[in-house]
Amino acid sequence: MTDHPKLLVVKDLRTTFATPSGPLPAVGGVSFELGTNETLGIVGESGSGKTVLSRTIMGLQPRRNVEVTGSVLLKGFEVVGASEKEKRSIWGLEVAMIFQDPMTSLNPVMRIGKQIDEILRVRQGMDRRAAKARAVELLELVGIPSPAERYGVFPRELSGGMRQRVVIATALAGSPQLLMADEPTTGLDVTIQAQILNLLDSVKEQMKMSVVLVTHDLGVVATRTSRIIVMYAGRIVEIGSTREVFRRHRMPYTRALLDAIPKVSNPSHSRLVAIPGRPPNLLDLPTGCAFAPRCAYATDICRVQRPRLEPAEESGHAFACWNPLPVAEGALT
Amino acid sequence: MSDRTPLLRVRNLTVNFGSHRKQLSAVAGVSFDIFEGETLGLVGESGCGKSTTGKALMRIVEPTSGSIELEGTELTTTHGKALRNLRTRMQMIFQDPISSLNPRRRARDLVAEPLDCWKSVRGAERDALVNDLLNKVGIDPEIYGDRYARQFSGGQCQRISIARSLAMRPKLLICDEMVSALDVSVQAQILNLLVDLKREYGLALLFIAHDLAVVKYVSDRVAVMYLGKICEIGPADTLYDFPEHPYTEFLLGAALEADPDAPLRGDVLAGEPPSPTSPPSGCRFRTRCPFATDKCATEEPPLEEIVPGHRVACHYPLSLSAEANA
Repeated sequence: MTDHPKLLVVKDLRTTFATPSGPLPAVGGVSFELGTNETLGIVGESGSGKTVLSRTIMGLQPRRNVEVTGSVLLKGFEVVGASEKEKRSIWGLEVAMIFQDPMTSLNPVMRIGKQIDEILRVRQGMDRRAAKARAVELLELVGIPSPAERYGVFPRELSGGMRQRVVIATALAGSPQLLMADEPTTGLDVTIQAQILNLLDSVKEQMKMSVVLVTHDLGVVATRTSRIIVMYAGRIVEIGSTREVFRRHRMPYTRALLDAIPKVSNPSHSRLVAIPGRPPNLLDLPTGCAFAPRCAYATDICRVQRPRLEPAEESGHAFACWNPLPVAEGALT
Repeated sequence: MSDRTPLLRVRNLTVNFGSHRKQLSAVAGVSFDIFEGETLGLVGESGCGKSTTGKALMRIVEPTSGSIELEGTELTTTHGKALRNLRTRMQMIFQDPISSLNPRRRARDLVAEPLDCWKSVRGAERDALVNDLLNKVGIDPEIYGDRYARQFSGGQCQRISIARSLAMRPKLLICDEMVSALDVSVQAQILNLLVDLKREYGLALLFIAHDLAVVKYVSDRVAVMYLGKICEIGPADTLYDFPEHPYTEFLLGAALEADPDAPLRGDVLAGEPPSPTSPPSGCRFRTRCPFATDKCATEEPPLEEIVPGHRVACHYPLSLSAEANA
C-alpha cells in the first residue's frame, strides 16, 4: 500500500458558508483516502454535506462567503487554496465531474460533438481532425448509437439518458484519473439508470480510473462500490468496505437508514422502520453527536460530547458512535 | 371478489395531447377497477402515462374517450356543480409538497379550505375538525397550526397535504409520486402514516410511483404501464415474484436492492422507450423486447387473464414460454 501513493488524500476538510444567520458548516472535518482504480460511494440524505464535499474536493466552491480549511491532495496537488488558474491544470485532465442534471450540464446551443472536442483541442492541444475523430470514438465508447451522425446534434435532440452519456464522454475526454459523479442517475428511469451505472463500471475499467459515486440511494452503492462513506450533518459517521458497512455496521444511523428503505424482496405491506424527527439544522448543530436527538440508543454522553471516528475490527472500517451496535446485532438478517 | 361493485371503474380511458396533425397518445385505452379500501399501485417509467391517468381521473386533464365511473356515476359526462360535488369523493396528492401548498397561508387555513369552500362544518366544530386532522398527520396544531406553509419542510408539507385531502372524507385518494421528493428517512414516515390513515378512514388508493419497492410496500394490486398501456396487472406479491410480461421482468431486474449480495436479476434492458407520438404497431414493447416475433408487430396482444386476478398483455407470457421450453 505504501509504495503506491494515494490518488486522493483528504485531511480534516471543512467547508463553511457565511450566511446571514451565521456560519453554516456544510462539511465539518472530513478525512479519507482513495487509491487508484477504486470506486468509493458517498451516501447521505439531503443536507448531509455529500455534494458540498465532492465540490470542495474539485475546488468548485463559490468565490465569496465560503471558507475552506484542511487539505485535499490530488496526486500531490493541493486543491485547497489553489488559484482558479492552477486548478485549471487538473480539471478535466486529472479529475472530472459529472453532475446530477444532464439537461443543465451541457451547453444547449452547442453541438454535442463540439462540446467534447473543445476539451481535446484546448486541454490536449489536438488539431481539429484528430479531435473530431477522438470525439466520435468517445461517443461510441459511451454507447451512443451511430456516433458519427450524432456528433452534430444538439443536446435538446437527445433523451435524458443519452445526454448523461454525452456528459460522461466530455468527462472522459481528458482521460482523468478520478471521476467524481454527483447523483449521476437520480433523474433517470430505472432501466436507464442500470444502463448508465453499467457504463460507468465499464469505462472505469477501460480507463483505469477511480470513481467517487455520490448518491442518496443505498441501492446504487450496494453493488457498484468497493468502499462506502456514510455522512450525516457534514461529517463521516461510518466508513468501510461496502460489505462491512452493509453487513456489520456499528453506527445506529447506518442501520436506521438501511431499515427505512422499502425493499423489493420484502412482501407487500411489511412495515417500514422510520427514523423519527428530521435531519438537524446545520446552523444550530447539537454539541454532542448530531444524530443523538433521533437515535434510539442515545445516552447522556451522546448529547454533550461528539464521538470521534473509531476503528472497528476490520481494517479500514471506522464509525463515530459512543454506543455502537454490537457486531452480531448489526448484521442484516 | 369479482361480483363486488368496484368503487372506481375505468374502461378504455384514452388521453391524447396535441393537434390533429401531431397527436401524442399519452394514455391509450386503460381499463381497471379499484374496490373499496383497496390500494392499486401504478408503476412505469417516465412518459408511460401513469400521471396522466391519475390526472384524467380527476378531470384535471380531459380524457379523450373512455369511461370513468365513481360509485356508479359516470364522471366523463358530468360538468359544473355536479363534477365539483363528485370531486369531494376523490382527492389527489401531488409530487412536490412545497409547490402544491400556497406558501403564504397558514397550515390551519390550508386544511380548512375545503371545509370552508363547501361550508360543511362551521365555527367551533370546524376548528375542532381542523385540529383533529392536523393531529392525525402528526402536526401539533397548538404549535404549528398558525405557521405558514413556507416555514415547513418537504415532509411536513406533505403531511399538511394529506390532512387537507382528508378533510372532506373522500373514498379514494390519488397519490401521484407523493414520496419521490423526500429523503428516505422522511419517506418511511410518510408511507407509514399513509398506510395507517388508509386503514382508519377506509380509503381506497391509487398509488402512482416509479419506485417499485415503494409501490410494493403500499399496494394490494399493482398495474405496470408502458407507453400508455397497462401491460400487466395482478396481486402485488404474485406480480413481483412471478412476473409474466417481459417488461415487468426487466423493470424488476433493474431495481437496485440495498444489499451488496443482491443478485443482479437478468440482463439490462437495452434502448429507450419509443416516442408516444408514433408508437410501434402491435405490441408497444416489441421494439425493446428480446422475445418479439412477427406476430408481435402485427397483432396487438389483449390484456388477458392467465390466472384469476392476474392479467397480462403479451403473446408469449413468461410462464407459458417456460412451459413450452420444458
